[in-house]
Amino acid sequence: MKTANEFRAGQVLSLNGQAWVVLKAEFNKSGRNAAVVKMKLKNLLTGASQEPVFKADDKLEPIILERSQVTYSYFADPLYVFMDEEYNQIEVEKENLGDTLNFMTDGMTDVCEAVFYEGKAISIELPTTIVRTVSYTEPAVRGDTSGKVMKMATLENGYELQVAAFVEIGDAVEIDTRTGEFKGRAKS
Amino acid sequence: MTVMPDLPPVRHWHLFCRVIDNFGDIGVCWRLARQLRQQHGQQVTLWVDDLVSFCALCPALDINQAEQQQQGIIIRHWTEDFAPLSPQQTGDVVIEAFACELPDRYIAAMAQRRQAACWINLEYLSAEDWVPGFHLSQSPVHNMSKTFFFPGFVAGTGGLLYEPELALLPQHMAQPLARQAFLAEFGLAETLAGYALQISLFAYENPALEGLLDALAAHPQSVHLLVPAGRISAGLDAWLGEVTAAGNTYRRASLNISVMPFMSQQRYDQLLAMCDLNFVRGEESFVRAQMLGKPMLWHIYRQEDDAHLLKLDAFLQHYLHGTKRFESGDKPSLSSLLITAFRHWNQAPLAAPLNGSGAHADWAEVLQQLPLWQAHSQAWQQQLLTLGDLASNLVHYATDRV
Repeated sequence: MKTANEFRAGQVLSLNGQAWVVLKAEFNKSGRNAAVVKMKLKNLLTGASQEPVFKADDKLEPIILERSQVTYSYFADPLYVFMDEEYNQIEVEKENLGDTLNFMTDGMTDVCEAVFYEGKAISIELPTTIVRTVSYTEPAVRGDTSGKVMKMATLENGYELQVAAFVEIGDAVEIDTRTGEFKGRAKS
Repeated sequence: MTVMPDLPPVRHWHLFCRVIDNFGDIGVCWRLARQLRQQHGQQVTLWVDDLVSFCALCPALDINQAEQQQQGIIIRHWTEDFAPLSPQQTGDVVIEAFACELPDRYIAAMAQRRQAACWINLEYLSAEDWVPGFHLSQSPVHNMSKTFFFPGFVAGTGGLLYEPELALLPQHMAQPLARQAFLAEFGLAETLAGYALQISLFAYENPALEGLLDALAAHPQSVHLLVPAGRISAGLDAWLGEVTAAGNTYRRASLNISVMPFMSQQRYDQLLAMCDLNFVRGEESFVRAQMLGKPMLWHIYRQEDDAHLLKLDAFLQHYLHGTKRFESGDKPSLSSLLITAFRHWNQAPLAAPLNGSGAHADWAEVLQQLPLWQAHSQAWQQQLLTLGDLASNLVHYATDRV
C-alpha cells in the first residue's frame, strides 16, 4: 500500500477492484500540517473518469504494471512518441499524459518510464527530479536570498510555476514532478 | 402568532472530535453540535476523546461519565478501546472533524448499514483558491463514499460557523450597562467599561507582543486591554514585569490590562462583541470576530514549511478586497496598513506577495483608522452572510442524501 500523496501522474491504483491510472494529482496543505490530494483518475477498462479527494495519508493500493525505460522522440497529434532502449516506438495518447504534459518539451533527454497495461502504453512517468529552463520571469527581488519569497516563472513549453525570487530568465531550475514544485536552481 | 420555520427531517448525526491541542477542535465541534440540535432539531451524538479539555468549554460535563447528555446532545467518551457496535447504532450522518480517523469498528459497522450513511470529513478553514475545487469532492474509501466538506469565505464553499442571532450581539454589548455587567461578572471594575478603546487579546506566544503593548501604553486615549489567560500570558507577564492573575487589572500609562479566566464560548462572544478591536487566533475565535462584524487581527496557527503564511496571504486577498471605498486620499491606505499589521503579527518575511511594505506595524496609525476598519468589517460580515452558515449548509447537503 502507498499513501495518497505518494501517487503521481502515470501511476496506476486499484479502487473498488478496478484499475485506474492517475492523470493528475493535486496536493494541498489543508490545516495543522494535514494535507489533501485531489486526483484525476481514468478507468483502464471503461475509460470512465473521476476526480476523488483523499487525505494525504490515506492508504491506496498501487497496481504494478510492466514498465520500460524510454526517452521522448516527437509529438504527432494526438500521440506522444517515445523510444525504448531497443529503438521501439512507444505511442501514448496525449489525454493519458495528464500532469506529465506540464513538463514535456522538445529535445528533453529525461529517461522516463512507459507503463503498459495489456500490452498498450497507458502512461509515462517522469523522473522525480527534472531540469527545465525558465523562459520568462520578473526581475529578481533585491535583498532576499532566503529562497522563501516566491514569484511566477514560465518554462519553455509555457508551463507556469512558482520559483524563488532570485531565479532569472535563462536559469535552469530543478522541479519535483510529484508536486510540480520548484526545488532549486540546477547546478551547472 | 410566530410562524416557526420548517425544520428539516430529523436525522441522527454523529460527530467525532479528536482534541489535538488547544480548544479549537472541540470549540468548533461543540458549537456545531449545539446548532444542529437547537437550530435544526437534529439528534446529535458528539464523540470526544478528551473530556477534560471539553469540560473547560462545558463546565457541567462530568469527565468520569462515558455517556451523558448536555444541552440536548449525547456526549460519548471516545476511547482507544472502541466497543463493537451494530450498524443501527451508527449515525445517519457521520462527521469526522478536521480529518480525524474514525475507529475501525465504527467504519465496519457503518459499512453494514442497510441505507448508506452520509459520511463527511469536515475540513480545516482556508481561503486558498484551491478550496472551492475540493469542496464536496467524494472520496471512495472502505467501499463507501466520503464527502470532503470545506468551510470557506467564498461561494462554492461551506461557509462559516455562526448562529443567526450572533449578528445582534454587538448592538447589545454596545450598551454601557451590558458592558459593566460583563466586566463585573469577572470581578473587574465597571469604570473600565468607559475607556475609549476596548481591545481583546487572544493569541499564541508572540514576539510582536512587546511592540504592541508599548504602542497601546503610548496611545493618546485610554485603552482597556482584556486578555483571557492562555499562551500569551507569559509574554504579558514579561512586559509587565510581574506575574498576572485572572480578575486583576494592571495599569501602565494609558493602558489598563485586565486578565480574565478561561471563559465559555457565550462569554467569549460577548467579549468580542463589546471590543473595538479583537486579536484572535486559530480558527474558532477568528471566525467569531468576523461574523460579529468586528475589526480583528489574526494570529494564524503555525505550520511546517511556513504553509500558514500562504494561507494568511490568501485570506488577506479576500478580506482586503474592497477596502478602497473606506479610504480617504490623505492617509495610508487601510489595505496596506492591515497587510503590514497582519504580517508583522505573524512574523511574515519582509517582502510580501501582497506588497506589504515592511515588518513593523504602525499600531498608532492602525488604531487611528479603526472607524474605517469597523465599516469595512461590517461590509465583510455582510458578504460572508450571503454564503449561509456552515451548519445549515451541512444540513441541506446531508438531508438529501440519507
